[in-house]
Amino acid sequence: MSKKRQKLISDILVNGSLLLLCLIWTLPSLGMLVSSFRPRDDVLTTGWWKIDWSQLTLKNYDQVFSGKEIADASMPGGVAKGEDMSQAFLNSLVVTVPSTIIPILIAAFAAYGFAWMKFPGRKVFFIMVVAMLAVPLQIALIPILRDYTKLDLNGTFLAIWLAHTGFGLPLATYLLYNYISALPRDILESAFIDGASHFTIFTRLILQLSIPALASFAILQFMWVWNDLLVALVFIGSRPEVAVLTQRLMDMTGSRGQDWHLLMAGAFVTMSVPLFIFFMLQRYFVRGILAGSVKG
Amino acid sequence: MSKHKKVWLLISILAIVSMMLAACAAPTAAPVEPVEEEAPAAEMVEVGGVEYSTAYTGKTVTVFGVAADEQARLFQKEFDEFSEKTGIKVEYEGNKDFETLILVRVEGDDAPDIATFAQPGLVADFMRKGNLVDLSTFMTDEFLTSKYSQGLIDLSKVDGKIAGVWHNADVKSLVWYPKKAFEAKGYTIPETWDDLIALSDKMVADGETPWCIGIESAGATGWPGTDWVEDIMLRTTTPENYDKWTQGELKFNSPEVKNAFDTVAAIWFKEGYVYGGVPSILTTGFGDSPKPLFDDPPKCYLHRQASFITNFFPEGAVVGEDVAYFYLPPIDEAYGKPVLGSGSIATMFNDRPEVREVMKFLATGYSMKEEAMAGVAVAPHKDADPAWYPTDAARGFATIIQEATTFRFDGSDLMPGAVGAGSFWTGIVDWVGAEGANTDDVLSAIDASWPTE
Repeated sequence: MSKKRQKLISDILVNGSLLLLCLIWTLPSLGMLVSSFRPRDDVLTTGWWKIDWSQLTLKNYDQVFSGKEIADASMPGGVAKGEDMSQAFLNSLVVTVPSTIIPILIAAFAAYGFAWMKFPGRKVFFIMVVAMLAVPLQIALIPILRDYTKLDLNGTFLAIWLAHTGFGLPLATYLLYNYISALPRDILESAFIDGASHFTIFTRLILQLSIPALASFAILQFMWVWNDLLVALVFIGSRPEVAVLTQRLMDMTGSRGQDWHLLMAGAFVTMSVPLFIFFMLQRYFVRGILAGSVKG
Repeated sequence: MSKHKKVWLLISILAIVSMMLAACAAPTAAPVEPVEEEAPAAEMVEVGGVEYSTAYTGKTVTVFGVAADEQARLFQKEFDEFSEKTGIKVEYEGNKDFETLILVRVEGDDAPDIATFAQPGLVADFMRKGNLVDLSTFMTDEFLTSKYSQGLIDLSKVDGKIAGVWHNADVKSLVWYPKKAFEAKGYTIPETWDDLIALSDKMVADGETPWCIGIESAGATGWPGTDWVEDIMLRTTTPENYDKWTQGELKFNSPEVKNAFDTVAAIWFKEGYVYGGVPSILTTGFGDSPKPLFDDPPKCYLHRQASFITNFFPEGAVVGEDVAYFYLPPIDEAYGKPVLGSGSIATMFNDRPEVREVMKFLATGYSMKEEAMAGVAVAPHKDADPAWYPTDAARGFATIIQEATTFRFDGSDLMPGAVGAGSFWTGIVDWVGAEGANTDDVLSAIDASWPTE
């Protein structure tokens, strides 16, 4: 009786505190969601919890998608339309997808090499790659910018693909190395005996077997690049033709930060893609994070 | 296996789509090197009263600045006519992280052709490092003096070189008053400091309270007081001394600064001068402090604050009808009509002939037309047409700036953060708390907090 009771109490305590934590954790997002549907004046005057259901509107989302309304007496109706998000959305995709795929491919080759190929200096090279993890990317910004200026690469998408590839490679190589080196030796050896080359083994065996690790790193890299502002600002700048979503979001608040009701709606639009990717690949995610953690 | 195939299929589709997208977006991505066409004999075209050469058709000039979104749109629009007539394309890039990014880009040899700064300190740094082009190499004194007041030209000089041309400006040396009640009482706008004090005395004699003052502003409490001191400094000493003061060469406990504090004290701490008395100076939010102007009858008649304070006026208050402003009068005739304010200055990083044409254009009031018409900024140019401004109030700001004999930036913004956004603010708070009895201690304490290199 008392034991059951104890268990019940501890269950309530554990689940209750978990529930509370979840609530606290999601509260800001909830506030953003509610604010994104509230009219401008309401957002500016009262907190989101003082919600007036009859006032909810889709106008913020409308302005986010079709361009902000700007008072301009010289235009018909006295209102001009600002930039919409579509160009920035495309730019973000163009930046993010190659910046995710290129480092994963290179890192997978490298990880295989470090794990299963014997060559002199293997350890030294691997230590160098791992050591790169400790170098903050910020210190590389200006030197790389200088090189890009010489190569006339500034402001091009190629520049940012290469930058993100470089910044993403150490972690990618390290994570994939842990996973790939833990694959059963027997499989690889039998493939060797059957006469398979390194390339065949890599494409036929390693890539197929490493899907969980590849997918989980893909999520990490995709989110990092999608949400990145700094690297994009430095290497491709903020001209409307090349500006990415994060940049557009920053502009959306207006030059004095007066339009943050639009920021809320814009933030939800921006979040939709990483959320989609995450839910699509999430079953690999936990498996991948654990990759290599119980390496024997 | 089929699961894995699906993933690979998805990845390859994504890759192909992104490459396609990249291909679509490519033309704008690469820095476009304009094709050299056979240069037609250079003709001159006139835009806004100045002649420009058409020899640089097809060239692109990049401009980088802090104005984003709706202001960026106006700025870009101001080049429409210029670009159409001269053929020089102007590409504006606005970013709210401008101050950081400009450092990164200049360091990375990726400087824009033109940058507009709101921080004169940064401009001076770049000029001294040799990044900026001295405009006097191609702009004559006559041209500049036909466009700007001498005060503004002096302010754009770094070590005798012209670092840039002013693009827009804002005024802080303003006194706001409730127009109807003010006129009904027969008060007149003071032309000198003595008039201002006489007017205040007259109000007290009439049983009214002259001033509304509030310096509370959360973590920045005290800043409205620093503006007062700076305004008085400009009126009681030379601009050179003001510059030395903001650079730390003229100490706070020098006679000049002490005199400025004493002049402020003569208004702030005088019995019957301030609505709510001295304690309310500390506890009234700067945004709430002008509200008594709008009571009927007004609870105070004078309020010194920058032009942006209109944002804090009660809804429906019309500047020019319910409330109006006058220029904070000079104290010593020797220092003319100084103005405390802020503004942005266009500077040139790359010396190419087409960039020079754009800089020339930026020196004309015509390059501010759209922003002036939208009422978002004031043109400091002499040749700006007052008819552009949507309100009389905005027109008045322009006049004050153009008539300024000296124009100086908010000193606390120029001082090191530890002082300008720290001990100067808290010093003012301590000083008001003691009703000015501890001026010497406060000034010495601010001096002591000045960072040593």
